[in-house]
Amino acid sequence: MIVETRDLTRCYQLGSSRITAVNEANLQIAEGSIVSIVGPSGSGKTTLLNLIGLNDEPTSGEVYFKERKTSTISDKERREIRLRDIGFIFQTFNLLPTLTALENVELPMALLGTPQRTQRIQAIECLGSVGLAERLEHKPRELSNGEMQRVAIARALANNPTLILADEPTGELDSETGREIIELLLRLSTEKATTVIVATHDERVAEVSKAKLAIRDGEIKT
Amino acid sequence: MRITVMCFRNLLRRRLRTTLCIFGISLATVFIVAIGATTSHYTNVIRDMNIFFAGKIVAVPEGAMVVQGFPVVGGNIPENIVEELSQVEGVSTAVPMLVRFGYQIETVVQLAPSNITVGVPYGNWSTLVGRIPLESGGKWPSVNDEVVLGQSIARQYGLEVGATFRAKDVNLTVSGILDSRSALLLRSIIVPLDMARELHYPNLEVNWIGNMVVVTFDPGLSEEQVAEKIRTEVLGIEALTTDLRNEIVEPLLSDIETWNSGITTVLYALSMVLITLVAMINISERRRDFATLDAIGAPKQTIFRIVVTEIMVMGLIGCIIGVVVGSFSAILFASLYTEIPLSLFLAHISEIVSPWLIIRVLVSTVAVAGVAGMIPAVAATRVNIAAELRSEY
Repeated sequence: MIVETRDLTRCYQLGSSRITAVNEANLQIAEGSIVSIVGPSGSGKTTLLNLIGLNDEPTSGEVYFKERKTSTISDKERREIRLRDIGFIFQTFNLLPTLTALENVELPMALLGTPQRTQRIQAIECLGSVGLAERLEHKPRELSNGEMQRVAIARALANNPTLILADEPTGELDSETGREIIELLLRLSTEKATTVIVATHDERVAEVSKAKLAIRDGEIKT
Repeated sequence: MRITVMCFRNLLRRRLRTTLCIFGISLATVFIVAIGATTSHYTNVIRDMNIFFAGKIVAVPEGAMVVQGFPVVGGNIPENIVEELSQVEGVSTAVPMLVRFGYQIETVVQLAPSNITVGVPYGNWSTLVGRIPLESGGKWPSVNDEVVLGQSIARQYGLEVGATFRAKDVNLTVSGILDSRSALLLRSIIVPLDMARELHYPNLEVNWIGNMVVVTFDPGLSEEQVAEKIRTEVLGIEALTTDLRNEIVEPLLSDIETWNSGITTVLYALSMVLITLVAMINISERRRDFATLDAIGAPKQTIFRIVVTEIMVMGLIGCIIGVVVGSFSAILFASLYTEIPLSLFLAHISEIVSPWLIIRVLVSTVAVAGVAGMIPAVAATRVNIAAELRSEY
């Protein structure tokens, strides 16, 4: 298993009320699988993805990453796992606005200490594989939403991660572009044998994944 | 991709804020350099005064206000006192001098002296200037209307050896120009003592000879021993040893330096607050960027470094601008309150704004910027990824 959660719970305090965003979630995701987490807005998809991606800490329960209990590891190790093993794709792309498409893709490699020449070659290759070979030097504001999401996919794949977490990757795109993006994501992850977990409320996205988990009010229903 | 490139791009992206921050730092640096350069220049001039009579005793009328070796305000010394001084046991020579600081050019009174006239008896020039030579072609005065000028005064009025000029209705001829960069000698007018008396006491019938006497003494005696004898034997005269002259001026120099340090500290503190505030605003607007960096696994120290680098770059740019403008301001002020032409200061700017001051200000400002960047940098590393990157609100 690449990811396993045991009784994973995340609660937030909102004023005087306590919100349970994820409630005792138990998941087992095998390496190389493509899983979609489907649920309406506010059902806990993003929170679950953040917990799996080590961006957030659970109130109770455990996340195991590659059989390793993540609650006992240091902040530095969590960052290291995020950098080496996990690629993130966000609904709003979250590209750094001052960097070009090429530099945004180079960034995770630069953080990992990859030599500059190698960064450049691999980034060009990644952007070529998402169909943006002609848009290397464009800044995010000069790209369309679909192009920005392609850059985000290239960035997520830059360090050859074992797991890709995509949070509503088609949320900001029209249906045609959304379909293209999902196809691209699935094709690349299959080629690289990468595990993909996609959080979405779009049933069409869920249909193309190999496994589907439904989430409602923070509870997972298989 | 280099992280530093990203820092520069971030600064350029928010041009107005970056410019305002740099402007704030520049402004503080301008004041630090201008005040620092002016005060250090004048404290150096004051310190410079004492190298003239090191190891000698300076006798002045009691109650005279003395800055190092030179009486600034006070009474005069009659001829008989010089005679009495030379007869004190252990005294080798007693050379009278007449020193006048010029605070007035034509009818305009200056805040700082623009020249110093020193009357010295013939043949005793070295008592004042030691071994400092004259520029080629010059000679020490051999007749009463000859005068030796400091370089700065000579250049200001375009006077060369052999040139004549009129001062207080007396025609004087330049016999030499001092080859010295001493701040005091640059603005000095050295004349025979009799001419100095004629220039400064034209209508007095009393037999004033000068306002100070430089006393040398026999080998084997200490300055303090001879000074004590003078105080006991010659009434109305204060004998100042080298140590005593330093002691008199030290509180003044210490006060100047305390004020300078205080103002500098306040300006640095204000700069630090300004930088921190601007940086905090900057960080709060870029929380999403920092959360993205965090989410893709950027080490905390990298995020910290990005913020501190950006702030230090602003500090460095602001400081460079401040040093240039501050240096120019320092010499402009000096020129304004001494009426000495700006060009004369510009030619020797490093004597007013010392390279050491520039290095000190550069290092301090960048360090202050670095320290000011710590809090925003820590804030940037503590961004809540889950909260910042949520697309649903």
